[in-house]
Amino acid sequence: MKESVTTYLEGKLVDEGIEFTLVELCHVSGASEEELTEWVSEGVFEPTGSRPEEWRFSGASLHRVRIAQRLSHDLQVNAPGIALALDLLDEIDTLRGRLGRLRKG
Amino acid sequence: MKYKDYYEILGLERTASQDDIKRSYRKLARKYHPDVSKHDDAEERFKELGEAYEVLKDPEKRAAYDRLGSDWRSGQEFQPPPNWDEGFEFHGSGAGAGAEENLDDFFEAMFGRAHAHARHAQARAMRQDHHAKVVIDLEDAYRGAQRTISLQTPVVDPQGHISLESRTLNVTIPKGVRAGQHLRLTGQGGAGAPGEPAGDLYLEIAFREHPRFRVDAADVLLDLPVAPWEAALGAPVTVPTPDGAVEMTIPKGSAGGRRLRLKGKGIPGNPPGDLYVVLNIVLPPADTDSAKAAYNTMKQAFRFDPRAQFYG
Repeated sequence: MKESVTTYLEGKLVDEGIEFTLVELCHVSGASEEELTEWVSEGVFEPTGSRPEEWRFSGASLHRVRIAQRLSHDLQVNAPGIALALDLLDEIDTLRGRLGRLRKG
Repeated sequence: MKYKDYYEILGLERTASQDDIKRSYRKLARKYHPDVSKHDDAEERFKELGEAYEVLKDPEKRAAYDRLGSDWRSGQEFQPPPNWDEGFEFHGSGAGAGAEENLDDFFEAMFGRAHAHARHAQARAMRQDHHAKVVIDLEDAYRGAQRTISLQTPVVDPQGHISLESRTLNVTIPKGVRAGQHLRLTGQGGAGAPGEPAGDLYLEIAFREHPRFRVDAADVLLDLPVAPWEAALGAPVTVPTPDGAVEMTIPKGSAGGRRLRLKGKGIPGNPPGDLYVVLNIVLPPADTDSAKAAYNTMKQAFRFDPRAQFYG
């Protein structure tokens, strides 16, 4: 272990105000262009623009793109599987929220 | 360093076939994948699985590992015998699942070099954006916060050995951040090829579980205990919010479970989220004579049948 270096930083929030091109999103998420293109064709992500070089992805989609990338790489889930898994994960989140409310009530 | 029993981690006998190894890994990886699993130790388990699989799926590495003998137990102090890997040539097959950031002692010492070559090739190919998770309190999202996080980055030396370089970053968490959002720190990721800019560091925000508040995107929910007479007759109450207490009026005739919205009192933003106060009617205990008398008085006064509609 080497000695620590301290830096002071101001971060930029990646929200709806930030857009990624296909190439940028690949860099950021670790997914390949082929994977992202497949996920878009499955309707998992809906960029604006018609052709891949015109696509713009909302910064808010990064969270789901990262999950897709991990499921794809770690578990070899294919594109239709990713689409299904993300839908089910959303549903589980919603149900867990409701469950928490019921338990407390 | 401590010995790790990779067969035990995958729930297998030492005689397992390559197919068994793959099947078992896949099954457990689905079970413990941190995006899917809610097990508390999912992340740790998944990392261990990835490491075990990385070694056992590769017949050469498996043979070298098997040569250490079967008398070792997980957690036992262990030193590799000299030249234990003599005659084996490891071909790095890329970073294994989960083995990315925190390289493990045992794995690193035994199989680290093969790993390093693969990583090195990858680093040259493109600049790397790095990711890390940072857990903050809900209050931090209301006010903004200053956080010190420590990161461990694997660094490859000219001999191909990996060491973990630890660095500390002081980061400003902006007001209005939500769980699952990312914070981009330009130029704080992996170094690029010579002459190219370094990658960025992305911090994924998560909220620490709050004893009082629940979060739903930008909205925040709170269960507020109220007395039956407060719900029935209406009452002014003081409601805690992550940004300090506010005064609110419970409307008369409120039922248990009623949601009262405090507009704009959720996580700040444009637009801000709302705070929902969910009424939880709490009955006073009938544990004294006067309390019992009060319940009896209620019984006389109401002639109330809570099951009037119940049997239909």
